Amino acid sequence: MTIRRLPEGTINRIAAGEVIERPASVVKELVENAIDAGARQIDISLVDGGRTLIRVRDNGKGMDATDLELAIERHATSKLPDDDLVNIQNLGFRGEALPSIGSVSRLRIVSRARGSNEANEIRIEGGRQQAVKPAAHGEGTDIEVRDLFFAVPARLKFLKTERAETAEAAAIVRRLAMAAPQIGFTLMSGERQLINLQANEVGDEGQRQRLSDIMGRDFIENSVQIDAGRDVFSLQGYASLPTLNRSQSTMQFLFVNGRAVKDRTLLGAVRGAYSDFLMRQRFPMVALFITCPPEFVDVNVHPAKAEVRFRNQAQVNSLIVGSIREAIGFAGHRTASTNAEATISAFQHQSGGHHRSHFAPTRPTTAEHGFREAAQSFAGFQAMSGDTSASEIPLNDDDADKPLGAARAQFHENYILAQTRNGIVIVDQHAAHERLVLEQLKASAQKTDISTQPLLVPEVVNLDAPSVERFADAAEQLASAGLVLEQFGPDAIIVREVPAVLAGAKIADLIKDLADDLETIGQGQSLNERFEHVLATMACHGSVRSGRRLKPQEMNALLRDMEATPFSGQCNHGRPTYVELSLADIERLFARR
Amino acid sequence: MRVTIERAQFLKSLNHVQSVVERRNTIPILSNVLLKAAAGEIQLTATDLDIEIVEGVPADISVEGATTIPAHLMHDIVRKLPDGSQLEIEQGPDEGRLAISAGRSRFSLQALPPDDFPNLSAGELSHKFIMSAGDLKTMIEKTRFAISTEETRYYLNGIYLHHIEIDGKPMLRAVATDGHRLAQVEVPCPDGAQGIPGIIVPRKTVLELTKLIEDQDGSIEIALSDSKIRFTFNDMVLTSKLIDGSFPDYERVIPTNNDKIMEVDRRLFAQAVDRVSTVSAEKGRAIKLNINPDKVILTVNNPDSGNAEEEVAASCDSEPLDVGFNAQYLLDIASQLDGDTAQFHMFDSGSPTIVRDPANSSVLYVLMPMRV
Repeated sequence: MTIRRLPEGTINRIAAGEVIERPASVVKELVENAIDAGARQIDISLVDGGRTLIRVRDNGKGMDATDLELAIERHATSKLPDDDLVNIQNLGFRGEALPSIGSVSRLRIVSRARGSNEANEIRIEGGRQQAVKPAAHGEGTDIEVRDLFFAVPARLKFLKTERAETAEAAAIVRRLAMAAPQIGFTLMSGERQLINLQANEVGDEGQRQRLSDIMGRDFIENSVQIDAGRDVFSLQGYASLPTLNRSQSTMQFLFVNGRAVKDRTLLGAVRGAYSDFLMRQRFPMVALFITCPPEFVDVNVHPAKAEVRFRNQAQVNSLIVGSIREAIGFAGHRTASTNAEATISAFQHQSGGHHRSHFAPTRPTTAEHGFREAAQSFAGFQAMSGDTSASEIPLNDDDADKPLGAARAQFHENYILAQTRNGIVIVDQHAAHERLVLEQLKASAQKTDISTQPLLVPEVVNLDAPSVERFADAAEQLASAGLVLEQFGPDAIIVREVPAVLAGAKIADLIKDLADDLETIGQGQSLNERFEHVLATMACHGSVRSGRRLKPQEMNALLRDMEATPFSGQCNHGRPTYVELSLADIERLFARR
Repeated sequence: MRVTIERAQFLKSLNHVQSVVERRNTIPILSNVLLKAAAGEIQLTATDLDIEIVEGVPADISVEGATTIPAHLMHDIVRKLPDGSQLEIEQGPDEGRLAISAGRSRFSLQALPPDDFPNLSAGELSHKFIMSAGDLKTMIEKTRFAISTEETRYYLNGIYLHHIEIDGKPMLRAVATDGHRLAQVEVPCPDGAQGIPGIIVPRKTVLELTKLIEDQDGSIEIALSDSKIRFTFNDMVLTSKLIDGSFPDYERVIPTNNDKIMEVDRRLFAQAVDRVSTVSAEKGRAIKLNINPDKVILTVNNPDSGNAEEEVAASCDSEPLDVGFNAQYLLDIASQLDGDTAQFHMFDSGSPTIVRDPANSSVLYVLMPMRV
């Protein structure tokens, strides 16, 4: 077969294959256009998950007749005024979206340019364009996409259920809306309204409101605000306290210059920032906005622009890791208030169950057990009150003013009950002490030099060639952490020295984990994780066990230490070390409120 | 099957064989011990598919036969029976049960058919020789501590045995290393062992063998091929698979040009190491040796808890040298030497150091210094 040039229509369909994958991608492209057009209100409606109709209306600056005709040409855009791909200010710039959509659906655009008196409309069906004709419309643009993929039946077969496609489109709208708090958004699916976001004031408060609308009030209340900068990069946003975490990474939103991205490297940096606060397979919630001059970031690496490249990736990563850690450290011992909620609901739930077991005549053993337990905890209270009446610690009002209050009792030899100005605090003594010891160990480990154990028989680890290259590049950084290695042929490295604390560990496993880290986040996170694991194990053994009776002075000292130690709100595994119940919460328990 | 046996003897043998039986097994019969009653003897066999121990105990056999029963359970029962009891073991017509009675106690245990019991001893072993128990113990004791426990380099998880010639004399050499230190010992090569292939005896086998030959002082019959080894002594037979891998070329890591030699009293040195390492709470902490012509100064510096320093008289033929070692490794080696003097051969503070016993040239240790 001879080689021939493809017709324009085919070219557009191929391009559509990259950009327009499913209804959600149409929504993304159209909403981005509307945002770029300076709209204040964007209304989206879907029918059949977008298969039958996707409609996006905005009140942006609109287009006149000439623009309208050009807009549906390929590589025609208003967004690259001086053909400068380095200095990209808008969300879009490729000039591909409209022609691609037009080539696979029935597209109708009605628009009136701002300040103009007449509106125009243009239609394009499966790539066949019709002439522009006058129409009636308010200021702004209204785009209708009907029968998506009617021209590419193959793609139609790969669509998921209506529900799944709608959910995906809604997720995209939410993501875009997070970065544009000044714009109001609505999303209708058939007759149902899925999203209704009011336009907010520009600024911090508006941003807060928008994030709280989308990620939930819990998130805003249990997160720390981040506002940091380094060189040309700056980072704003919110990151959840480690005690507020999810089993999936879906609640992690990253934006680069207002563009929502799903970049593995950046997500890796977020993981790194939380590495010693969360268990594996638990994920923090974050909404982070990175801003930098456009020339420092390349957004043109992915057709849907989900990935970006920074001119200085390592700097951005360390900005993320550093500022999240600092912010969490500043929040110190705060734990999520969701814990208090959980505690209250646990109380309420259990109180019913207890009644039943106490009075159930058929299960005397359970009731007896319950009584014995109760008797034991009373014994604890008595012992304690005996101590206080002997005035070993006169109830110290100074302590009660502190955030974690004054210790009043210990029960079940593991939990400390403390009274604060406006509530009570229950502390898990083992978890809390474990964190304190770990922070101490970490502080002293940083002070000492790392000693290394050279290997008598160096270990050869086989890897794929790209990993070997990455190790060769990172050799110096790893050597400063005590891991000395060299390239050994094209697809292996030879490890000559290991950090002394890790001397007995499985070197090959460590190297393979490091290879993954180097690939995803560009630095050897695992090495630190291993160090911290060793320290964490030592901390676990070196801390006060549950079951040990503490004297009042010891309890108060523990509370004061927790207030002074960063990250003391959660133990090494991300579990909370204490819960706080305010008086209002307690009153709710007794139905006083 | 019907047998009468004396408790003490039975317990001793059960004790030997049950230690190879894993606590948790996916194949039920591996939890069992095979009992074979024939010719005035009851033979116990236990295996984990890598090691097999067979031991015979004299017994009064009325009816010959074989069966298998849970090893740990049997061991616990026999252990708890009173001293001096006579056990009666009987398998009636129901093959799934084994009745045990002693005094007024009666037990009936689940049995599995003996035909399903794996047989590890099959196959010809190409080389056979006889070795004194003392030599075998020496080889194990001097090297065992250096066996690696790290599973990725599985070929280091055992003792490497092979034949060499030193000054024209045939010797049998045992080597073990964990990548940080190396232990090597030689004994005169027994007749018939000259042609043996280099073999790696797995760690678990070494541990079991140590227990079994603890109070042996006769000679031990060893038979081996390149995949199996068998030790036979008294009424016991231990058969084990060997590690299928090649031991690294260890001779390359033994330095030959270490010209700085320090001699120190072994006991004083070991005690000093033990004392100063007290302040190093965490593992992997280094002991620094400051070596002078007439003394060595040991220091440990732990910013968390404090410092320790001790001087030990020593003689060294070179200029002063500083070198750091892992405290645990130094202790291990110091406790392995049995002469009065420990001799350190060094090159510089970053190269492997040789430790020897001047009274016993057949033992050699190599230790990698730490960078501190």
